[in-house]
Amino acid sequence: MAYLSMGEAHRRITEYLNRFSDAVSFQDGASLKQLLSVSSNSPSLLSLADSLNVFQKQDANRLIKQSDKYSQFGEIIAPFFRCLQSYRIGNLLDAYHAFEKAANAFLPEFRNWESAWALEALYVIAYEIRILAERADRELASNGKSPEKLKGAGSFLMKVFGVLAGKGPKRVGALYVTCQLFKIYFKLGTVHLCRSVIRSIETARIFDFEEFPKRDKVTYMYYTGRLEVFNENFPAADHKLSYALMHCNPHHEANIRMILKYLIPVKLSIGILPKDRLLEKYGLVEYSNVVQALKRGDLRLLRQALQEHEDRFLRSGVFLVLEKLELQVYQRLLKKIYIIQKQRDPSKAHQMKLEVIVKALKWLEIDMDLDEVECIVAILIYKNLVKGYFAHKSKVVVLSKQDPFPKLNAKPVNS
Amino acid sequence: MATETKPATEDVKIDLFEDDDEFEEFEINGEWEVKEEGKDATQQWEDDWDDDDVNDDFSLQLRKELENNTQKN
Repeated sequence: MAYLSMGEAHRRITEYLNRFSDAVSFQDGASLKQLLSVSSNSPSLLSLADSLNVFQKQDANRLIKQSDKYSQFGEIIAPFFRCLQSYRIGNLLDAYHAFEKAANAFLPEFRNWESAWALEALYVIAYEIRILAERADRELASNGKSPEKLKGAGSFLMKVFGVLAGKGPKRVGALYVTCQLFKIYFKLGTVHLCRSVIRSIETARIFDFEEFPKRDKVTYMYYTGRLEVFNENFPAADHKLSYALMHCNPHHEANIRMILKYLIPVKLSIGILPKDRLLEKYGLVEYSNVVQALKRGDLRLLRQALQEHEDRFLRSGVFLVLEKLELQVYQRLLKKIYIIQKQRDPSKAHQMKLEVIVKALKWLEIDMDLDEVECIVAILIYKNLVKGYFAHKSKVVVLSKQDPFPKLNAKPVNS
Repeated sequence: MATETKPATEDVKIDLFEDDDEFEEFEINGEWEVKEEGKDATQQWEDDWDDDDVNDDFSLQLRKELENNTQKN
């Protein structure tokens, strides 16, 4: 750190105080936002932090108290200064605690401001408290202590949500805070806590979802889409993730990739396949063999693909979704057997011997006896993936002459 | 006695606190052109792939397998 004279430090701190007080009196949300972005490491905040570290704490507080136009925000600024100082020297737990104090003092001020001019500043506070909490938790965990600050940040953001969610011009900010809460709950593994905010967003008659900013709608649809995947509600997951995909900023390729990571298994489960180009472009080749298996009716390939990428699929929570594709692959295999039989002898094609299926599976290195195959075919019939009935004694499945292998037509397999 | 063993199981599990797929933040005032949206990724799906074509390698081998077996029986 370059040498900083007391005079220069004094000048910089006073400059910050003036900018803060001006931003509030001119209702300049964009400027206020910059004054609060701790983790942005902006040159002006870094030099302010250095100045504060040259000053004694009491002296900085004396500067705040020297004028009413500063001291009216003293309960925000004083802890904010402590946060900057701690952040600068890498003491993240103290930085979090101080920021939380500043944030708690900011919220009632924000509530009292009639218009929504300070929304951008509130967004930054919501973002920063999450980021600082994550870093503080990492510090706690590395010292063998229980990480609990992110949970605390979640409680604070629920208070923020309460301030925004009512009627009035500030409501447009509720979705941003919701998305920050989602990020916390997904990280902590407490996704059930999303439910109450979702209900509040989706049941509100006073505010149309489309009026929220696009970036928040996309993020919201991504997270609620993931929740629908966990709930195995595939039509809803398809709707939400497709919305996110359609409206996502095309320059954020990492986000598009994340959307696709969940949308692809959803689409597969309703019988829609991604083109190879898509998998290649976004580096999602772990799905290539799954798609190939569906196209071919190749059960062995499906099982291999699931095994090969098991860790990845389990981590993202789509493994069970992909495992259930097996029925569609059976359907495809039976259809291929049927078409091959039909080309040989059209008059007998609709009678399929179970032992033929056993043989096909054996070729795929899947050992199943007649009873097991009969059971699988019974499930396929029950799920309406095959239309037909058993001639039980002769171990033959008699396929319907009309549409023996109904397509899913973008609907999930019957459950 | 049972209560004494409890603290040992409450190890700090930092790896639990992860979400591999945390969405990147968009810029605060980051509105983008409607025109640009989703041109690419949304048009890369097929829903009519389930055709009657059995001339791919997999199907040809399957046919061979079934015919071999038929002859054996």
